[in-house]
Amino acid sequence: MIKASRIVSRKFDIPGSHTLEVAKTHGAYDALSDAFAFSPAEIVEVIKESGLRGKGGGGAPAGTKWGLMPQDDPRPSYLVVNGDESEPGTFKDRQIISKDPHLLIEGIIITCYAIKAHDAYIYIRGEYCQFQQILQSAIDEAYAAGLLGERSGGEAYRVDITIHRGAGAYICGEKSALLESMEGKRGHPRLKPKQKEPEWYFGNPTLVNNVETIASVPYIVKNGARAYREFGTEHSPGTLLFAMSGHVEKPGVYEAEFGTPMLEYIEHYGGGVLGGRKLKAVIPGGASTAVLTADEVAYATLDYENLRAMHSALGTGGMIVMDEGTDMVEALKNLLEFYHHESCGQCTPCREGTGWSDTILGRVLEGRGRSEDIDKLLELADTMDGKTICVFAPAVAIVVRSFIGKFRDEFEAKASV
Amino acid sequence: MSFVFSKENLERIEALKSRYPSPKALLLPCLWMAQYQEGYISLDAIEVIGEVIDMPPMELYRVATFYTMFNLEPVGKYHIQLCKTLSCALRGKAQILAQLSNRLGIKPGESSQDGKYTLSQVECLGSCGTAPVMQINDRYYENLTPEKIDTILESLEEES
Amino acid sequence: MSQTEVVIDDKRFVAKEGSLLIDLLIKHNLKVPYFCYHEALGADGNCRMCMVEIEGQKRPQIACDTLIKEGMVVRTKGENIESVRRNILELELINHPVDCPICDQAGECKLQDFYMDYGLYDSHIDQADKVHHQKHIDLGSNVMLDQERCVLCARCTRFTADITKTHELGIIGRGDHARVSTMPGKKLDNPYAMNVVDLCPVGALTSKDFRFSQRVWFLTSTPSVCHGCAKGCNIFIDHNREKYKDETIYRFRPRENQAVNGYFICDEGRLSYKALQENRQVERDRNGAVCSEAEALKAYCKTLEGAKGEIIVLADPNLYREELVAIEAYAAHIGASLYAPLEHYRDEDFADDWLKSSQRAANAKAVEILEIKTTLPVEKAGLLISFNHPDAAQIKAEKVISFQTHIGKDAYDLTLPLAVFSESAGTLVNEEGIEQYCPRAIKRNEPIPTVIEWLTQIEGGDK
Repeated sequence: MIKASRIVSRKFDIPGSHTLEVAKTHGAYDALSDAFAFSPAEIVEVIKESGLRGKGGGGAPAGTKWGLMPQDDPRPSYLVVNGDESEPGTFKDRQIISKDPHLLIEGIIITCYAIKAHDAYIYIRGEYCQFQQILQSAIDEAYAAGLLGERSGGEAYRVDITIHRGAGAYICGEKSALLESMEGKRGHPRLKPKQKEPEWYFGNPTLVNNVETIASVPYIVKNGARAYREFGTEHSPGTLLFAMSGHVEKPGVYEAEFGTPMLEYIEHYGGGVLGGRKLKAVIPGGASTAVLTADEVAYATLDYENLRAMHSALGTGGMIVMDEGTDMVEALKNLLEFYHHESCGQCTPCREGTGWSDTILGRVLEGRGRSEDIDKLLELADTMDGKTICVFAPAVAIVVRSFIGKFRDEFEAKASV
Repeated sequence: MSFVFSKENLERIEALKSRYPSPKALLLPCLWMAQYQEGYISLDAIEVIGEVIDMPPMELYRVATFYTMFNLEPVGKYHIQLCKTLSCALRGKAQILAQLSNRLGIKPGESSQDGKYTLSQVECLGSCGTAPVMQINDRYYENLTPEKIDTILESLEEES
Repeated sequence: MSQTEVVIDDKRFVAKEGSLLIDLLIKHNLKVPYFCYHEALGADGNCRMCMVEIEGQKRPQIACDTLIKEGMVVRTKGENIESVRRNILELELINHPVDCPICDQAGECKLQDFYMDYGLYDSHIDQADKVHHQKHIDLGSNVMLDQERCVLCARCTRFTADITKTHELGIIGRGDHARVSTMPGKKLDNPYAMNVVDLCPVGALTSKDFRFSQRVWFLTSTPSVCHGCAKGCNIFIDHNREKYKDETIYRFRPRENQAVNGYFICDEGRLSYKALQENRQVERDRNGAVCSEAEALKAYCKTLEGAKGEIIVLADPNLYREELVAIEAYAAHIGASLYAPLEHYRDEDFADDWLKSSQRAANAKAVEILEIKTTLPVEKAGLLISFNHPDAAQIKAEKVISFQTHIGKDAYDLTLPLAVFSESAGTLVNEEGIEQYCPRAIKRNEPIPTVIEWLTQIEGGDK
């Protein structure tokens, strides 16, 4: 049975929860006094112990990342909150931003204190303008209430939050591209550093975390690492704002603990497949994860390890559900158009590979396919995998391989027309 | 140069400068301000922003052309952007597009003759749970049906 | 940084720890393909062509973003890594037009070279499916852009952003619609603009001055030094003799010399080859009438013998040191006073703080070292012998003999043709004192004598 697990979404259903007044009556900013009673290093330790993993898709341990921030560096440290949420099938950060913005602000104050930063930026995708306005109002309220500014949370610790609006580029969700974008450049991912180090914003050490990751911080600081570990599995502790879209009765965002069986989640929260039809496939964690067949979904659980073992990934936890009537060739074409449109164009394999894959599949769908086209797509996937600056192209490779590998008959049938 | 930032925007720019480690960080905020002020980003505006944030216009221009939300040409008063990515496609985006095209008499990428509407198809709007979805200027319209399209377009007609 | 040993393709090499692997590969001529890397511009990592295998690394790595580490074992050859490169190259080529037969870059195109090394496969894409961009865009400064041939290596844009800091070029748009462009309505306009043509590894940027004039494989390259100013930028003189025609220079290209000009030259210097072939003095002219060489020599001796009063010799400070030395000796021999006036060659408008010097005389330093007077003589001369000095007409003289490379507006008693620097050989000393030897590049069908050849004949006739 599904265990109710509401850590981040606790206030989502409360009317007016985005206002300071309502949020405060439901415990907003209560974790601040706990936080300031700790030393910064102690908070980093608590986050490490909690096993909190980055909730933007990568799932890297948050505490380890925090630990990379210098404790005594003459340069200022920065916190950048990644709210560029653009992975198809993902619409969870938006819920936090519009339904419980004060939770995010509270998390930012604590994180800034822990990593010795005074300035935080929230990078929000440009399309989320109306949600950004809600967040801005919350920030304004927090300033007026003295929760932000020179003495944030009533302590002598300055925290300033600035919202930075994106302008339509999926790749800016990649943390180094996001920082490039914030530096006034094209959103090109940076070459990877040679050793473990923080990110850099205008040459200053910077922590980049997803909105939901930061929103998980107050609970952990207030209730302790062990309380967080009550949820989830050993290696995937805690919860995630999982989401469903596509062919389900009740699409939406529902928080659940890691390890929840996928099918049970879809049945319990999503009300099953739309119209009572048969399930065909699920893309488990945003478009860029390997598609699962209905058979695989039956034994998939929603945690990093299980989905990895199934050669897919948990990603952002945004499931795209497809029923028996779905044309998998059309579905892949749809996603290839997305990747073709969103490739930043910096590296050759990605710039040309995404475009060419899209073109080839388009040719197949137009009835101009060649017998070798399906294999060519797989070959292109190999060329795109592991040869680029960022993981965009490798993700495309995974998507192509899983669709063709698992539904090859449908592709063959279209190609041989 | 014909572009001048409004007094209000100039004040916002000054305030923002104190928020960032470098004026270059103001590039996207300034492009947004210019777009809201004029409806699109003119080459004149790019020159002016370049002076404000101390960046050569070309460096700005190549950034402006990278992001799909910046309009370097004027668009209709109502810019209708229909999401075309998978979840919306699975939930009937095609009918919504057909309805929009029929009602407005334009295809994606076109503007109506009176310049009032521009229709675009865009990639994932991050609103998959309420698909199909579209954005008109800054506002989201979710759980769309052909009937809802009629109502929305009628209300836009009344508004103007 | 300390020296360390690495193994590349089973051979040992010594390199600086932490330096770029690609530099080591280039230095030892270990072939890896690359488009975006350039020593002057640094690593950008966008083309992904310079893939190598590194022991202990799961995936192939780009050499331009790999730092040398102690004990590193690198493999640049083998079926595995070559197939990786082949596949990436295929992607470079999909949207590339197959127009090598009409492309000026053919013969010095990296895309073509790498295709011959790694590619050699059939195209998998229909012409109609290719992404189309604009062709024949006149960027300004003699540079033409063909966006379809571009591989987006960003060398040209990095050049205008990081080297000249003039920021005319940029990559605009996104994904496979990205392209190199100027700002709408703006031109590529800086004194070094044409270097982007050399930087471009493919045929996307071509020189309006050179395009369609020659196939590069017909050209002979002779190393030389630009005579445009005292900087002494190193160049290649690219020339060819077509059937029934005279040897012709088609272009100057920069030649790398880290002590002088790095990798680049200015556009004015680059285009200065033209003047070597235009308006040349080829005839011997005595009192307005063409005469034979023998007659000219006879007239020369007669004029010299009949000279009354002081003899002044003027030497062009662009002449090679060997030529200046010969003139100096000759002037002493005939008891003349020698000048190489420099005033004419001061040009503050030309100068910048990079490769353009306000001293426009290429060998001004040699003049100084030889202690030749650099002022303009004020006294009236009985006879003036000018070796291509532009101020000859300003000197008051009863008789004037002028050796000159180009036809001038002034008439002299005796005008004799002189070889230009590409038709002669010798040493230039640049303004920093660096000596640079320039071999003879051009042999005309009917040679024009050099300074030394003239003096040898004159002195021979003397005896």
